[in-house]
Amino acid sequence: MGRIVYAAAMSHVLYPDYYEKNVGPHGRRMVEELIEVVRAMGRTLLAARPDALVVVADDHLNVFSFDAVPALCVRIGRSVPRMVQADAIEFDQALDGLPDRYPLHEDLANRLLEEGIESGFDLAASWSAPLDHAFLSPVATLCGDRPVPPLVPFWVNCFLAPQPTARRCFAAGQLIARVVAEGPWQVALVATGGLSHFPELSLARLGTSDPAFDRRLLRALEAGDPGPLQALTAKELHETGSHELLNWMVLIGAVAPARARVRFFGEMGRIDLAAVEWAVA
Amino acid sequence: MSRYDLNVTLYRLKKDAAFRARFQADPAAVLADLDLTAEEREAFVRWDARRLNELGGSLHLLVSIPRLGAH
Repeated sequence: MGRIVYAAAMSHVLYPDYYEKNVGPHGRRMVEELIEVVRAMGRTLLAARPDALVVVADDHLNVFSFDAVPALCVRIGRSVPRMVQADAIEFDQALDGLPDRYPLHEDLANRLLEEGIESGFDLAASWSAPLDHAFLSPVATLCGDRPVPPLVPFWVNCFLAPQPTARRCFAAGQLIARVVAEGPWQVALVATGGLSHFPELSLARLGTSDPAFDRRLLRALEAGDPGPLQALTAKELHETGSHELLNWMVLIGAVAPARARVRFFGEMGRIDLAAVEWAVA
Repeated sequence: MSRYDLNVTLYRLKKDAAFRARFQADPAAVLADLDLTAEEREAFVRWDARRLNELGGSLHLLVSIPRLGAH
């Protein structure tokens, strides 16, 4: 019988140069501290010897363009390339030194799609979407130079309204947990993004975050109390710059009622950075 | 439905280097055939990122267009 052997969530722009440029030396120092924490978390993740690593993250209008915007999407196929973009800005430039392709866990991805359809989740499937920093910055930091477990990339539309609700994302996590429990695999689960930044997706508010919201969030996670989080509205997520919390909600649904351990929280001004593990083992 | 065209134009500026080069050389000419309002067109020509954002342009596109990105 399968089980979730590791679960964690973390901010996904793990690039000191980006924060040095846009925030200054204290931004660099803070993200460097976070990177050290994420590296340590990666050692725990890999020690659990997962058969697959499900990564829940969002698209930054890098992959899906405007032809179709899936609310929830599973990447299928045998392998996935990293995104390559000429003249990319800092946090996608930083993908340049990483491997060109990553293996996928095709069986788990297909099972998620099939079981999703059976149980009312019409998940989108992509055979071609590449991975940007939202996936590869955490994966590369967690795994370092060790082999990356076969991935199951899972996208949540965090930014183009109307997004899936927090409650729906939580339920998608419950679906993942059910599929894992019914399958033969040991699975690690990582959600990325956040915490609060880009409130209202407004350029005029760039450089601000909502630390009070994030402190309440982390207290709820530590208490193992996802109820109020499921009730968060799109308006609340938008105004507080918590769009990417939807990725976390998928993971929270998969591990509830496990309690979280906050490994890192830092208020940078432009963004609140965090790394959190759940007691699932 | 020009908000769609506004964002598709931003997306092309991010992803299509040749389009971006033509835009930087002569923005009004590049935008001539696109279904944009006069206000949107003017904001593009002046490259007023904040105004484009207020008009519905995606923040993530506006901050990530090579050499034009607003931070």
